[in-house]
Amino acid sequence: MDFVQNFPAVSILLCLFAGIVSSGLKKNAARRINRALLLTEIFLNACVLAYTAGTGESYVYVMGKFPAPWGNEIRAGVLEALTALFFCIIMLLSLEGGRKKLADEVEEGKTFLYYVLTDLLLSSLLALVYTNDLFTAYVFVEINTITACGLIMIRQNGRTIEAAARYMIMSLLGSGLLLMGICMLYDLTGHLLMSNIREQVALIYAAGDYRIPLLVTIALISVGLSIKSALFPFHAWLPDAYGYSTVSSAAILSSLVSKGYIFLLIKIIYRVIGFEIFYNSRIINILFIFALMAMVFGSLSAIRENDVRRMIAFSSVAQIGYIYMGIGMGTQAGMSASIFHIFSHAATKSLLFIAAIGLTDVSDGSRKFLSLTGAAYRDKWAGVAFTVGSLSMVGVPLFSGFISKLLFAQAAVQNEMKMLPALIVLGISTILNAIYFMKTVIRIYTPVEHTHYDTVTFKNIKSYAVTLVCFVVVNVILGVSSQPIVDLIEQGLAMFS
Amino acid sequence: MYYILLAIVFPVISGIYLLVRGEMKSRRRLLATVTIMLLATAGFAGLALCLGRDGLLSLFNLTDRLPVLFKVDEVSVVFSLMTIIVCLCAGVFSFEYMKHEEKEKRYYGFYLIVFGVLLALCFAGNLITFYLFFEILTLTSMPLVLHTGTKEAIMAGMKYLFYSLCGAYMALFGLYFIERYGNTLSFSAGGVISETAAAQHGGMLLLAAAVMLVGFGVKAGMFPMHAWLTAAHPAAPAPASAVLSAVIVKAGVLGIFRVVYYIFGVSFLRGTWVQTFWMVLTLVTVFMGSMLAYREPVLKKRLAYSTISQLSYILFGFAVMTGGSVTGGLLHVLCHGFIKAALFLCAGAIIYMTKKTRVEELRGIGKEMPLLMWCYTIVSLGLIGIPPMGGFISKWYLAMGALSSRISGFSWIGPVILLVSALLTAGYLLPLTIQGFFPGEDSSETIKKKEPPLFMTAPVLVLTVLSVAIGLFPGRITDYLSRIIEKII
Amino acid sequence: MGANLLNNYGEAVAMILFGIGFGNLLLQSNLIKKIIGLNIMDTAIYLFLAEKGYISGRVAPIVTDGVQSVEAYINPIPSGLVLTGIVVSVSVSALMLSITVRLYQRYLTLDLDEITLRLKKEGL
Repeated sequence: MDFVQNFPAVSILLCLFAGIVSSGLKKNAARRINRALLLTEIFLNACVLAYTAGTGESYVYVMGKFPAPWGNEIRAGVLEALTALFFCIIMLLSLEGGRKKLADEVEEGKTFLYYVLTDLLLSSLLALVYTNDLFTAYVFVEINTITACGLIMIRQNGRTIEAAARYMIMSLLGSGLLLMGICMLYDLTGHLLMSNIREQVALIYAAGDYRIPLLVTIALISVGLSIKSALFPFHAWLPDAYGYSTVSSAAILSSLVSKGYIFLLIKIIYRVIGFEIFYNSRIINILFIFALMAMVFGSLSAIRENDVRRMIAFSSVAQIGYIYMGIGMGTQAGMSASIFHIFSHAATKSLLFIAAIGLTDVSDGSRKFLSLTGAAYRDKWAGVAFTVGSLSMVGVPLFSGFISKLLFAQAAVQNEMKMLPALIVLGISTILNAIYFMKTVIRIYTPVEHTHYDTVTFKNIKSYAVTLVCFVVVNVILGVSSQPIVDLIEQGLAMFS
Repeated sequence: MYYILLAIVFPVISGIYLLVRGEMKSRRRLLATVTIMLLATAGFAGLALCLGRDGLLSLFNLTDRLPVLFKVDEVSVVFSLMTIIVCLCAGVFSFEYMKHEEKEKRYYGFYLIVFGVLLALCFAGNLITFYLFFEILTLTSMPLVLHTGTKEAIMAGMKYLFYSLCGAYMALFGLYFIERYGNTLSFSAGGVISETAAAQHGGMLLLAAAVMLVGFGVKAGMFPMHAWLTAAHPAAPAPASAVLSAVIVKAGVLGIFRVVYYIFGVSFLRGTWVQTFWMVLTLVTVFMGSMLAYREPVLKKRLAYSTISQLSYILFGFAVMTGGSVTGGLLHVLCHGFIKAALFLCAGAIIYMTKKTRVEELRGIGKEMPLLMWCYTIVSLGLIGIPPMGGFISKWYLAMGALSSRISGFSWIGPVILLVSALLTAGYLLPLTIQGFFPGEDSSETIKKKEPPLFMTAPVLVLTVLSVAIGLFPGRITDYLSRIIEKII
Repeated sequence: MGANLLNNYGEAVAMILFGIGFGNLLLQSNLIKKIIGLNIMDTAIYLFLAEKGYISGRVAPIVTDGVQSVEAYINPIPSGLVLTGIVVSVSVSALMLSITVRLYQRYLTLDLDEITLRLKKEGL
């Protein structure tokens, strides 16, 4: 066994240890550990990615001494490693970008807790990505929920606590359904490891038994995970949670936490239930319809919104819709488009959140649309970054959003039945996105006479500008040379099935 | 081959440089820099045209099947020559016009970027490259519309943006289908749709073609998505509206030309419902544009309506799909480019000197600035289509092409509508000349002769001379155009 | 159908309880009642698991007098899952309760909708 094969397990455990150790440290030490941890994780996962892409096949890593049907396992393939790597990068950038704001908005004594929570969040995300065991997945889903809730309410005001409560309630509904689904799967197959369940499910399906329980199971799992990832109409908690928490939290929540659940869903579709069976279950059509509605209604809510942060949050609803549309397409191409959009949206949305905070900060800290007039002249980097993010969201070529749009459309034209609705809604959604994002861009570039503004935190902070540049670079890379990443995604999906 | 890249990248980079650098020490230095940049761009573009003929330059791949590549062919030559001349003239004109405006540096920055993007559109070698720069053109030309920063300008900019984005998405919509059912997205004369694909997915492809026509037609001001034009053109500063009206809208025309003749191919579209639909749209636009221009009192808006109508002359020529009509269309691209630029620059000069925008306020303007008004009159005659002006030649070809097409109904309805519209054109352009030179008895004020400065009159003169030259020596050009026609029909 | 339901009455009860809990968690506006709903929902799942793991006539696999044949024991894994699940649900309940305390201290009400309404009025 190669040494690199230990890395996925090591990366998860490292996060857990870092979290535990940080809980006894002062805030600066915790911050340093956090940063070192993220850099190490990036290195480890890059190694795993290189290794799996090199060997061209995935491998199973046995946790502990017990072999397959009893023990716990980790599975690493190209897609897992790529996702994990990307999550780590985005998390690092989001934390760096919001660092200064964090010191502002979180009580002095509690800052170290923020790092503890992010360490644990990262561990649960990595575990969700790598695990091969459904019940382990459930446990880490709950850890993910709890830490995410902590990230929301670490900034103490009425809004965030209420948002956290709503977030918890919706998440618990989702994980309840998920757990029920997992239990029923266990009941049907007698296994908890993904690969074993899949074999059994295929047997059961071939024999024609238990059609209805299987359908119910699939429905429970997909609805549970889509509630947790805020698919329309289960998105009521989202704008408050993203809109009022501290900016790093908003970026991490929107770009990583919800994506973790979607990744788990994709994994379950491929590795647990089997793509064919999932496709035949028709649940896929329901997801598709919800996705289309999300794309339209999310954008419509965003247009009506007067608060920039909440506007970006509502746009997440629409983007989650894009991802589910790809899943709902029921083709391999749709799935890889979805996964690409997970990356592209993660890179863009966190960029937008981080850039928006810079803009609001130079406008007396007000997030109202009108007070942002001319903000791009007061904070040039944030203005440019916000523009790039908006263009990417609208789907202008050269930025990542265009490639996802293109991939979705290419997937759509392969599916005769869903082609027209998908393309039309894609068009409507593009226009709606353009309306609110370009409106904001024009607003921030409109000159204003009123010259004096109280800067709240950010002003000429070098690390902030560097972070924004990094984000922009990630976006442009995804937009200009997407082919290697798409190839990796397709290679990874092939390993899944 | 890299001349092509240079011609595109140089203006874009110099534009960005102007945008990000601090204020220049003096206005003179700014103008000198801009002049050098404009001339260098024109020079590089000229080099690309001379040396880069029929070569391919593949830049990078968006995805495996979608390379960004450039190619110079005869069509690029026609469109890029027009672009270069108009952009240079309008650029020189802005040296004087923008004197009293704020944020001059920003204006020139975006002006250069737009110049580069327009050249890129002319040189684009496949549909995805064209689409890419089509989107970028919208985004980079929007600041020109927004330049004054007034509420109307912002509303006009938004309107421009949303119409254009709608159009671009419709173009993209068609692109998906072509990518799926066609073999390639590269422009090749005669089309890329194979016969098997045409037989199997004909209906879908025709729908895609219609959607793409409407989509690119947005930029070309084709009915039903023309409303942005009359909002955006008057809102921009005059030299920018000259570029908008003469060149940027031609991007839509070029897009339609490429899609019809280089992607779908004449044999696929001729005689289908798409052709009929398209001809109806263009004829409606021709008539409606002229009528609206006739009723419009504000000079710049009147010219914008006129643009809507004239562009559809070109598109009608393309829609008829005979050799003569396409020649006429391409010739009218050149004529209309020069003439409309000259007209907008005249309007700009008038506004600059007198601050008057409405036609009825301009009595006696010919006495005030005779040289300018003579240019105005000459190019107006050209636009109406009076021999020996350029417009006459192009309209002659259009009408003859339509008559020889043998499409039932349209072969005579088309020329009739063109004729009626030409009369209307005379009706909305010439009153300014008549009132300008013959103010009538009741104008008691004494009018002083006050010609605009040289930087303003010279570009107008150049454009006027060019538009007359096309009319006097059409042979060379039609010969050249016939080489295009041979390949595509 | 009916016979099946009668034979598996434990599972049926678990499902009904799950529904009750789910409904409460979703629809109640009182936070404490929501948490009670949450616990009912979780407990229903444990009941379901336990019911699945139990095979009538066998004993728990606690080895006291030497290992007997495999047939003698029930399946221990569901019980293990239940234990894990209980740990998770306890921590989640604790977190929810702490949020409830925070909200009550600020707004002196347990009604989530009313809190939202007040927040809107504050316009934060």
